[in-house]
Parts: sequence; C-alpha cells; structure tokens
Amino acid sequence: MTVATRAPSVESWIQSFTEANNQDPEIQAHGKYFTCSYLLDMEAHTFVVRVVSGTIAQISVDPGPIEVPYQFAIRASAHTWGEFGKPVPAPMYHGIWAATFQRDMKLEGDVLVLMQNLRCLTRQIELLRSTGAPV
Amino acid sequence: MSKISPVTGHYVTVDVDGLEYKVFYLENGQGQPLVCQHTAGAHNHQWRGLLEDPEITAKYRVIAYDLPRHGKSDPPENTEWWTEEYQLSADHFANFIVALVDALELVDPIFMGSSFGGNIALQLAHRFPERFDAVIPVEGADHSPGFYLDWWQHPHANAAQVCGSGTWDLMAPQSPEADRWKTWFYYTQGSEAFKGDLYFYSVDHDLRGKLGEIQTDKCAVVLMTGEYDYLTTPEDGARTASQIPGAEFIEMKAIGHFPMSENYPVFKGYLVQALDLIRTKTTVGA
Repeated sequence: MTVATRAPSVESWIQSFTEANNQDPEIQAHGKYFTCSYLLDMEAHTFVVRVVSGTIAQISVDPGPIEVPYQFAIRASAHTWGEFGKPVPAPMYHGIWAATFQRDMKLEGDVLVLMQNLRCLTRQIELLRSTGAPV
Repeated sequence: MSKISPVTGHYVTVDVDGLEYKVFYLENGQGQPLVCQHTAGAHNHQWRGLLEDPEITAKYRVIAYDLPRHGKSDPPENTEWWTEEYQLSADHFANFIVALVDALELVDPIFMGSSFGGNIALQLAHRFPERFDAVIPVEGADHSPGFYLDWWQHPHANAAQVCGSGTWDLMAPQSPEADRWKTWFYYTQGSEAFKGDLYFYSVDHDLRGKLGEIQTDKCAVVLMTGEYDYLTTPEDGARTASQIPGAEFIEMKAIGHFPMSENYPVFKGYLVQALDLIRTKTTVGA
C-alpha cells in the first residue's frame, strides 16, 4: 500500500478505502458479523459507509437529507480527519476514543452498534493512515 | 537447551478488611523490592518485559502481582462476591497493597503502578508514606473522571472486545504491533473486573486539594506519563507533580497509557531515569 502524502480525491479515496478494507487480513478474519451503516462527517464531505459481513458494500458521498440511513455517526473537523490520515498520527488524533476525549470528535446516534462492532471498526478507521483522508 | 524463564510464580494469602484473598504474584531479581501493579481490568503479564530484564533484576526484586479478581488471583475466598456489584474503593485498594507488602515481609519497597495503579501509588504516598521508600505513579493523576462507563460490561455488546478495543487508542501507534496486541489480549480477559476497577479510577479516587499533604521526604514520588495517553495526559501528570512538594515528573515520548506493556524498551529508558532519581533522593535524604 502506498503512503498518502496529500489528501486524496473523494473518488480515489472511496476506491482505496474500500480495497484496503476488503483486503485487510484482520477485518476479513474477524468481520463475519461486522454489519452496520455509519456516517463519517468530515466537515468538507460526509460519507455513509455501509458494511456487510466485513465488506464495504457502498460508500455514499454527501447524501441529501434523510436520503441514506445510518446507525451512528462519527463527526469531526476536516483538520482532525486530516490528522487521522497521516501514517503516524500525532497524539490525540490516533483513534476515535482519543479524539473524542481530547479533540473535537463526536460519537453520536446508536453508540451501542458502534460498540458491538468496535474491534473491526477500530481497524477500519485506522486504514485512513494508509489511504489518507479525503478532506 | 531448555528456555526456562527465571521468573517464578507464587501464591500468598492476604487478609485485609475482613476479606481473605489468595494472591498470585510473579517475581524475579534481588535487591530492593519493586512492587508492580497492573492497570485496571488487566493482569501482571503487563510487566513481562520488566520481570525478565537482567539489568533491572540485578538490582531490584521485581514483584508483579495480580490484584484480586484479575489474572490468577481469585475474588475473595470468604464472601458470596457474586451477589454484589464489584466497586473497588480507594480505602480497600490501599489497604490491600499494604497487607500484601506485610504478607511478603517486604522492607522499604518501591511501589510502581500504571493507570489506576498510578492513582493508587499517589494514594499510598498520601496515606502510608512511612511504608514505602518511593512510589512511581505511571499514567496517574490527582483526578481522572470519565471512564466509569457501562459499555465495559454491557450485555448487548461483546464486552471482551469492547474492553480490548476500547483501550486500544490508549497506546501509541509507534509501539510494536505484537506488544499492543498482547495488551489488547489481556484486556479481553478482564471485562468483569474492568468496570469495578474504574469505579476507583474515575469516581472514588480524588486527591484534588490534598497533593500538598504528600511528604516526599518520607516517600519519594516520581510521576511518568506517555504523550499518547488521552485519559491522563502529560498535562495532567505535570499538573499533579507540580502540586506535590519535591515530586518529579517525566514525560515519555512516543508511548501511551500502558507503557510497560506496549513498548518495554522505550519505557525502560524512562524507568531507569526514575529509579536513579529515587536513589539520589533517598540517599541524600537518609
């Protein structure tokens, strides 16, 4: 996998993030029941990621109001997501718990679903370190 | 050639606050006792690197115990513990450690603990300064609210994975993956104790306004905090140390909240600094 040096385009990120997830050994080994839909609010763009049995089935870009349902949301500024997209993130940008406790990230909606999928979701968000964040 | 570790395991019976515990501990080395407390919801394998470090164990008797309800230390032998919710109090935690030190007949031990072990280290320095030569609170602070959460034990989620992955971000991305996964693995084993441990960590432990009472001439205090720790940040550690007369603070770079377990070689460099500081302080003070 190549290391992103600047923000990728939305189109290329959707492709690289989907490929990285669907080929990730950890997620594929443990993702049999990793099925959920969640919103990634990156300020400049929003995405609804729909995961089915560990595979990213669809990423909806900037969906309109009530257009694409999701179960929980991970919201943060474009700056924060940009930091998540670095190969070695700085302290407090190295995970959703860290950024929620110490930076501007918010975990909203049915957080129980997030917790039910926490292992694979944690890995999935870390894939941003190799794909970069599209903001 | 066989590869048998010099680390040995034992059980010792500890009576404290009317409870009887059979406590499991690992030990190696000779010299001043260095008593090590694991983090909440974990067990003594977090100290595996230290326990097998020939340089440290040449000078110190490293003792890493499992707190009751963790690892190989069972819940109390003499109560129906399953009929009560586990909530660890500062009183019982501190009394237990003193009772363990008594049961092992340790003289002038140094106590080191991480996370809730760091917080209890501060409590010990405050309550029992004459019983310890020094304490090393790792990832400790005067107050650490916010982690006493129902998610650790929620019946609708996989508690083992929530505990393992919910503490994953407490480690630095620079720490070796294999060591971070070992730490994750320990956390999958402790979900029934984790939340009750955090009652102490986030609720009952509160030394705000009392730090100035700690007598470092009797019990030296050296705090250490990793820069990737989002729960007790380096700012929290520095603030805590600044309010304890004579205390020292060391910020650890490129490491997180489980330093001894996630990256022992990096942690060791800072630990040696802390032990040198303690030796200087206690020698000068003697």
